[in-house]
Amino acid sequence: MRYPLRSLRAFTLALVWVGLAACKDRPVEETTTTAPEKSPVPTLSVLATSDLKDAQPLEQMVEQATGVRLKFTFGGTMESTEAVQNGSTKADAAWFANAKYLLSDPQGQSRVKLQEKIMLSPIVVGVSESQAKVLGWDRPEVAATVTWSVIAKAAQNGQLKYALSNPATSNQGFMALMGVVASVAQKSEALTADDVDRKAIAGFIKGYKLVGDNSTYLTEKFIEQQNTRVNAFINYESWLLSLNQSGKLKEKLTLVYPHEGVATADYPLLLLNDAKRAEYLKVVEYLKGDAAQTWLARTTLRRPVNSQVAAAQSALFPSGSMMVELPFSTDRVLADGMINAYLNEFRTPIASTFVLDVSGSMNQNGRRQQLVEALQYIAGDDASLTGRIARLTSREKVWMLPFSEQVQSPTFFQVPQSAALTVAKGMGNTGQTDTAAKQRVLGQVRDYAEALRMSGGTALYDAVLVALTSMNAERQRDPGYQYSVVAFTDGEANKGRTLAEFKTAYAQLPEDVKAIPVFMVLFGEANEQALKELVTITGGRLFDARKSSLYSVFKDIRAYQ
Amino acid sequence: MNKAVKTLITVALLLAFAGAAYFSIFKTARLENANSTSLSGTGPLAGLAGRLTGTVPVEELSGVIALDVEPYFQDARVQKRLADLGYRLKTTRIGSRDMAARVVKDQTPEFLYASGVVAGNQIVDAAKKAGVPATMVSPIYTPMMIASWTPIAKILAANGMAAQRTDGIWTVDMAKLTQAMLDKKRWKDLQGAQAYNVNKSVLVSTTDVRKSNSAALFLALTAYAVNGNEMVTDRDAAQKAAGAVLGLFKRQGYQENYVNGNFDDYASIGIGKTPMAFIYENQMVNYALIKRGLGDSMVLLVPQPTLVNKVVFVATTDRAKKLGELLSTDVELQHLAVAFGFRIAEAAYFAQTAKSAGLTIDEQITQVIDPPSFELMTQMIDTISQGMAQ
Repeated sequence: MRYPLRSLRAFTLALVWVGLAACKDRPVEETTTTAPEKSPVPTLSVLATSDLKDAQPLEQMVEQATGVRLKFTFGGTMESTEAVQNGSTKADAAWFANAKYLLSDPQGQSRVKLQEKIMLSPIVVGVSESQAKVLGWDRPEVAATVTWSVIAKAAQNGQLKYALSNPATSNQGFMALMGVVASVAQKSEALTADDVDRKAIAGFIKGYKLVGDNSTYLTEKFIEQQNTRVNAFINYESWLLSLNQSGKLKEKLTLVYPHEGVATADYPLLLLNDAKRAEYLKVVEYLKGDAAQTWLARTTLRRPVNSQVAAAQSALFPSGSMMVELPFSTDRVLADGMINAYLNEFRTPIASTFVLDVSGSMNQNGRRQQLVEALQYIAGDDASLTGRIARLTSREKVWMLPFSEQVQSPTFFQVPQSAALTVAKGMGNTGQTDTAAKQRVLGQVRDYAEALRMSGGTALYDAVLVALTSMNAERQRDPGYQYSVVAFTDGEANKGRTLAEFKTAYAQLPEDVKAIPVFMVLFGEANEQALKELVTITGGRLFDARKSSLYSVFKDIRAYQ
Repeated sequence: MNKAVKTLITVALLLAFAGAAYFSIFKTARLENANSTSLSGTGPLAGLAGRLTGTVPVEELSGVIALDVEPYFQDARVQKRLADLGYRLKTTRIGSRDMAARVVKDQTPEFLYASGVVAGNQIVDAAKKAGVPATMVSPIYTPMMIASWTPIAKILAANGMAAQRTDGIWTVDMAKLTQAMLDKKRWKDLQGAQAYNVNKSVLVSTTDVRKSNSAALFLALTAYAVNGNEMVTDRDAAQKAAGAVLGLFKRQGYQENYVNGNFDDYASIGIGKTPMAFIYENQMVNYALIKRGLGDSMVLLVPQPTLVNKVVFVATTDRAKKLGELLSTDVELQHLAVAFGFRIAEAAYFAQTAKSAGLTIDEQITQVIDPPSFELMTQMIDTISQGMAQ
């Protein structure tokens, strides 16, 4: 059905061109506001953050309504921000939940030719109904007084255990931290690094039990762990309303809109390529029109910016107390300092075993070199937006566990803590420059990677089992860490346990081991199906390094740890 | 479709265009007669040449325009009227503050339609330096207003900062409001603030002063207030006043850096984000005309005093100068500007249009001040920009 339509449109367009060519000298009544379209089918490629995947049907809707072929590619918030800021994206436009971080930087600003807000969704706290009752937040008059400081306190004393996207890589996580900073500082304006109350942040982070980088993953885990390990989900209103409607939850979430601390995502569509101005303007006009705004409101549960549609669809959204917005601080020292401090100081530190395939097949096609470089990269000094997330952070514990025919012995590294801060307020210099001790350990990791030698078979499942057992034991010893297993393999497991035997053995491990996810990275000829099955059993996620470089996969994994 | 149909359509199109061309010639000729005293311009010559060679005598002008007037030039009625008058425009939208940089000897656009006097003066200044002839007219204007909400207006009134006149118009005392903002008052500190009992500081949202004309005008207004209700007239006073009001910009945190950003937040996110927004009146009037009225409790506060923003048309050629005159005097083109919320010389027409949209507007704005000189304004903007960057 699509193709005949398209060819008809192409024909009609061609006809118009003929007409135009024949009548070059006619008095055109329209002003030319843009360069003429060069290709017969106008296109607009859009780099969008992954939380906008639910808006993908717009591609067809836009093309049908405007003739502009819209094409989304999706990415994480920070990596997309970085791609726009440094100009490396080829996309004609970008669509982010929030572009304030990008636009408070002069270089970022210079990339953006035009911008238009398309829809709205505030960041809210969804609390399991039963827990909301315990906290008294089920009563609207109480809920209306819940500030980010109250939320932070509930997290600190163990009453709130929440899922949240990584503050270092996502808008939701970052704005939640800012909400706590502003609320505790009793300041509503122009926050600076000096306003950060470190104890309050640390308290808030105590309740941060489910970490991840995208809402789909977090939701899967949240559904599994609701009311056992977690009882709250901090995310966009649209996401939580959809989740409540999905019927997949053990119980519904009560939505709490932080008093004087609502951060509303306003989804600006940003024009990057000036040559696509005409296409951009057409798309914006359609997106802000009644049809698209109504569709977005009903299907994705984001609030319309078009006030007539907003009035018509108001029944879709809770109407409670007035939502007072959290001002966005343009202070980059604060923003970058917060991200660094989150990673190196506030967050529950990471402890993980890297299960490394050193079988003979790793010598092929430069795979060994890829693995070595990826390990050296995380122990390197990339200070870019995404690089700082990938780096090993202060306090982090790493066990390198190579395997081939057999599981070899682990090597342990611990990144030292940054110099202790003596002040209770302000950001100091947390994690922004490395101490000599930290540099030394990072150097050791790089040397270790360089010395890896590959030979023999692939006893993958044995190695993963050893890693899980040892992480579980470490966890008993020191529960103050976030444990996980990261495993790399390039081939079919052909030594030691089979997958079936692994499953049996896994089932016999103590229940606690379920809290330790296994992130599998496949490249080469690894058996994708088997690895998928493995991460389904152990929790975690499969990352594919066959198409993208291993170190970019690493960046992704780090956001889940 | 077969070839025959295609040919038919082409022929039909050609006939239609020929008709339009005929009308165009006719109209242009009439216009020439009307302006026969004018010696200037290539218009009549082009028209004559057109008739002799058989091509269409249309004045083709290219220029740069500000976002504020872009919808106006895109409007089919405006385009038709301009075509009837013999004009075909090629416009490119750029930021008003970027326009002065386009003034380059022999490469300057024929016209530059800037959003306000601040940018207009910059352009004329650049033209003077570059030896480019430039004339400035202001076909349309709009006063600066504070878009707010009834509960906010009432709180301001309870604290002696605002008042509602018997005709329903809300006014706000800029000297008192500026003082309250400089004193870092929070809403909950004010008398009778139950309806907006929040920690937020009393601040008027503006766009980024480094980019935007409207924010510059807010700077002029608040500088006037801190300078003892007098406009700054020397460098020292300007420096001092800008230094004093820096916080009113800096404390806002992130500011939208496109013209409509501030008003968009006001209209779509609402009172929780934007209790008060410094806007052009035409933004609110335009909104009300499209939506056939304002949303619940939206209200315009008329600053006492306020500034009137003249939308400034700078012509660098004689034929562009003629276009500028038409934009200012042609009744239809003037009336069409009102459809976008602008005020025109014919005050009654504006008043009647605003009333039809259910808007209460101040027909005769009396307390109006002039912005400071171009040099002092630039100096103050620089002072604020530097302060913001620190």
